[in-house]
Amino acid sequence: MKHLKPVNNKAHTLTQAVADDQVEEVVAMQSLAGCTATTDPGWEIDAFGSVTSLCQPMESDLYGCADPCWWPAQVPDMMNTYPDWNSKSQDSLEDWRNLGTVFPADKD
Amino acid sequence: MKKYNLSKLAGGAVLAGLLLPVTSTQASPDAESIIRSKCLACHTEESAEPAQFSRMSHQRKTPEGWLMTIARMQLMHGLKVTDEERRTLVKYFADKQGLAPEETAGSRYAMERRLNTMESFESTNFTEMCARCHSGARVTLQRRPAAEWEHLVHFHMGQWPTLEYQALARDRDWMDLAFKEMVPELASNYSLKSDSWNQWQQMAKQPLSGSWSFSGQMPGKGDLRGVMTVSGGQGDQYKVKVDGEYADGSAFKGSGSAIVYTGYEWRANLTVDGVKMRQVFAASADGSELTGRMFESIHDEAGMDFTAIRSGSTPKLLSVQPEYIRAGSTEVLTLVGTGIGQKIDLGDGIKVVSELYRDDNKVVVQATALSSAETGQRKVKAGKANGATLNVFDQIGSVRVVPEFSVARVGGNGGSTPKYNGHFQAEAWMNGADGQPGTDDDMRIGFVPAKWHVEPFDAQAEADRDTHFAGQMDAKTGVFTTAAAGPNPERRMSTNNAGNLKVVAEVEENGQTLNGDGQLIVTVQRWNNPPLP
Repeated sequence: MKHLKPVNNKAHTLTQAVADDQVEEVVAMQSLAGCTATTDPGWEIDAFGSVTSLCQPMESDLYGCADPCWWPAQVPDMMNTYPDWNSKSQDSLEDWRNLGTVFPADKD
Repeated sequence: MKKYNLSKLAGGAVLAGLLLPVTSTQASPDAESIIRSKCLACHTEESAEPAQFSRMSHQRKTPEGWLMTIARMQLMHGLKVTDEERRTLVKYFADKQGLAPEETAGSRYAMERRLNTMESFESTNFTEMCARCHSGARVTLQRRPAAEWEHLVHFHMGQWPTLEYQALARDRDWMDLAFKEMVPELASNYSLKSDSWNQWQQMAKQPLSGSWSFSGQMPGKGDLRGVMTVSGGQGDQYKVKVDGEYADGSAFKGSGSAIVYTGYEWRANLTVDGVKMRQVFAASADGSELTGRMFESIHDEAGMDFTAIRSGSTPKLLSVQPEYIRAGSTEVLTLVGTGIGQKIDLGDGIKVVSELYRDDNKVVVQATALSSAETGQRKVKAGKANGATLNVFDQIGSVRVVPEFSVARVGGNGGSTPKYNGHFQAEAWMNGADGQPGTDDDMRIGFVPAKWHVEPFDAQAEADRDTHFAGQMDAKTGVFTTAAAGPNPERRMSTNNAGNLKVVAEVEENGQTLNGDGQLIVTVQRWNNPPLP
C-alpha cells in the first residue's frame, strides 16, 4: 500500500480508515444475520460502517456486481443461478421495478 | 407485488412458499415414491429397505433448510415437482432427518426471522469463511458428515466462483483452508450423527391440540395476552384461533392453520385483524409449552416474542404485565399463565390491594409497592403457579434503545421488495449501588413508553440530509418507516434513500428527560430473501 497514493475522496477515506484500524471494527459491526460482510464493495454497509461509499445509486452499477455474484445471498447472481434475472430490466436505472425477488411469496 | 417469473428459470415449475406451507398433504403420493420418480435422474438409490438415497439421506436440516434445498433443486437443477409434492418432501425430510430441539438452541433466531440479531462465533474461520455472505445460522442449523461438508464446498466454488477473490478470501489459500480446516471443523461441530438426535427420535411426540394461554410483547403496541385454541392433529396439521388483547385494550383476533415438523417445530400461518402473520415456535418435549416468535408475513421485522402454555399443564405463570412497578406506587398488574392459584404473592414489599378480574388464563390485580420496598426482582407466585418475575424500581437511571444497532431497508415504490422497517423499544434501567448509569450493577426495569426521533449519525449523514430522505420515525410508536426504493433524483448523484441515523428515545423521569440512542442503517433492498437469511 505504501506505493499507492489516494487520489480522490473515497480513497483518502479508505487510507485514513486503515490507518486508524477502523476497518476491522466495522467488519465486526455488520455481522447482522443476513447482511453480507463482503465490503469490497459492500451491499448493505460500506467498509466504513456507513452507506455513503456504497454504489450511488446502487442501480447504476448493479449488474456489474450481480453478474460476478458479489453478494449472492442478497442479490441474485447472474453468472450461474439467475442468468435471466434482468431480462425485463436491461436498464437498471429506468427499469429497476422489473427486478423480481427470487424466493417467491407464499401462495396460500 | 411483482414477483420474479420463475417459470423461465425452472423450466415451467413455479415455486410457492417463502413461508413453509401449512396446507394438507393428505392426497399426495408418499415422499419416497416422489423421490424415486423425480430425483433419481441425478441421485441414486443406495438401498431400498430402509430407503436410502445419495446425498439427501446423509444430511439433517430444519424444515426451512429442507425447503431451501428442494427449492434450489428446482431453481438450479431443473427439478420438476408440484407445490404439493414439495410440501410432502419437506415434511418427510424434516421428520426423518431433522434437528433435535437442543441442536437448534442458539440458532433459532434465523428461523424466527430475527434479522437484527448480531451474530458472533468463536471460530474466526467460521465467521470469515461461512458467515461472510449469509447468516452463520444457515450453517449451524445443518448436520452433515465430512464428505457432505466437502460437497458443500465444491458446490459453493462451482456456483459462485468469485468468492475466492473477494476480501477475506484473496488474502489466503481459500481452497486449502476450506478443505483442510473448515470441513473437519464443521464435521466435528455439526456432525450427522448425534446422541441428541438419537434420543429425540426415540421420544413419543406429543399432540398439541388444546387451549393455550399466551403472552407476548409487541414493539410499538406493548404487552399482549390471550387464548390460542388448537384443534385437529391428523398428519400433524391443526386449526388455530387466537383471541387476545393488548394492554391498551385493543383486540388481537385471528385464525389460520399450523403444521408440526420433527415432532416439535410449530409453523402456523394466521390472519390476525386482517394482517397475515406467521408463527415459528418450538414445542417443549412434554407438549405443554410453545415458545418462539410471531410476526407479520410480509413485514417480518414486525413481530414479537411469544410464549404459550397449554391449559391443564402444571400450573405456571408466563408473565406479569407490565413487568415492573415503582416503589411507592399503585398499579394494575396482569398475571398471565395457567392454573393461577387464589393466593397471589408478588414478593416482599408489594401488596395485592384487590383482585379485579380472573379467568382461566389471567388474573388482573391492583397492587401497591410500598415506598419502603427494596428495589430488585421479585419471583411472583399464584398458588402453585410460578415462573414469572416483577421488577421493583425507585427511579429510572438510564434508557437504552433496543435494538442498539440495526439495519432497515428501503422498499415498495412499485418494486418487488417490501420495505423493511425499523421497530424500536425504549428499555429502562435503574442505577445500581454505585449510582451511576451504564455500569455492570444496573438493573433492567423493562420497556417503557418514549418519545422518538432520528438524527444524523455523523457529519456525512447530516451533509447528505439522511434524516430527510431515509424515512420517517413515528414519535409515539418507535416504528421507523423507510423511504421508497429506487434512485432519488433529489439526492446527490441520484442516490438511494439510504441513510445512517441515530435513533433517539426520550423518557421523562422526575421532570428530567433521559435519552437513549442507537444506530440505524437504512440500506438498499435484497431480492434474495429465503426463509433462512
